[in-house]
Amino acid sequence: MKIAVVQFPGTNCEHETLVAARSAGLSGEIFRWNRPAEELSDFDGYIIPGGFSYQDRLRAGAIASKEPVMDALREEAERGKPIIGICNGFQILVESGLLPGLGGVNVALAQNVMVSKGEIVRRGFYCAWTTLRHEAPSERCSGSFLLDKGDLVRMPLAHAEGNLVTADEKLMERLNEENQVVFRYCDERGRVEDEFPVNINGSRESIAGICNPEGNVLGLMPHPERSSFAWQLPPTDSGKCAGDMNAAGPGRRIFESMKRYIEVRGC
Amino acid sequence: MLINLRVWLKIPDAEAVTVKNTLRRRMGYESVLEELGKERLWSIEVDDSVQDPGDLARRLARELVNENKESYLASVDSVEFEDGYVPVRVGLSIEDGEAISTQNRLRNRLGFDMVRGVERSVVWKLALKSPEPEKTAEEIAERLLINPHKDFYEIMT
Repeated sequence: MKIAVVQFPGTNCEHETLVAARSAGLSGEIFRWNRPAEELSDFDGYIIPGGFSYQDRLRAGAIASKEPVMDALREEAERGKPIIGICNGFQILVESGLLPGLGGVNVALAQNVMVSKGEIVRRGFYCAWTTLRHEAPSERCSGSFLLDKGDLVRMPLAHAEGNLVTADEKLMERLNEENQVVFRYCDERGRVEDEFPVNINGSRESIAGICNPEGNVLGLMPHPERSSFAWQLPPTDSGKCAGDMNAAGPGRRIFESMKRYIEVRGC
Repeated sequence: MLINLRVWLKIPDAEAVTVKNTLRRRMGYESVLEELGKERLWSIEVDDSVQDPGDLARRLARELVNENKESYLASVDSVEFEDGYVPVRVGLSIEDGEAISTQNRLRNRLGFDMVRGVERSVVWKLALKSPEPEKTAEEIAERLLINPHKDFYEIMT
């Protein structure tokens, strides 16, 4: 099973993302955006990692979404192959219309607005560990295929524009009904609260990750590759393991899910 | 009274170049888009009792413009643009935190008590070879310049 980690100018998480994918049993390579796009069809799945593609010019993800490689990815998505967008990768998938995948651009990932007790306490870039609650049924989505509904996953985030907003008032209802909301921010006990710091960036309904209607394309703002090994966890986390450098961290479940999805679906 | 500051880079504007290249090389506007420029526009509402708006505009520009790399043009109430391009103003349709912060900074820390409101936007100046340049500009705005779930645009004619 071979995956492509798609790198745009300004992407900066491609190496650790590939290491995390390999730790889950996937093989793969970094695929630069200016390679012939048709070569993408040789791969079984795709990850668009985090960073600042095109320096976030215009707005995060907007310029990369117009690259030919994204047209090729759209075709591969239509064939059912899995795509996971992490942080800036999520922003690119949103700007390209692949997420939530209802035709056109359906949402925006706007500047973070942290609200507590009715007051805006902070805006913009934020970097912290967070807990995600898996909202979808198991096997609903390629990147969370092995997770059960209600499972908690710890991983860090670092972004300025992850606040999911939409002008379509009916969209949230549809995303919820169709189980396209894959992850929500929650506290360490799994409680969702629409207040900073639990809702860490002001996102509508505390949404941290969504998938397309078919479930093969997932985007999430936090970074699973930064918690794929137990040694990456913060010192206060009981799961931290500094001795065994290969011990799995919670984020690895995302990449293991992708692998399992490819095995089951025969992509 | 509204004080407008049109601000542009006097060093190369890499963002404008990237947007131009994307439109020409990736989105089919090679023969249509001749040139593209970008300006920031500050629209600052102040008390009508201000006696010398020109002087106030200069003082505001000292805070909002870095003249080592930027130039500006101030006007009162209306904004006018040169001929030869279609100006497309893009701003946030959701709350603009930077505009709020700027207003608070001007009023509460820098002593501009007369400031009543601050609006921040970007003006994309599109030089178009098109029989209907405004219609083409609208198309470009909707295809690239905005995300309709957080931005608005207007053609400033």
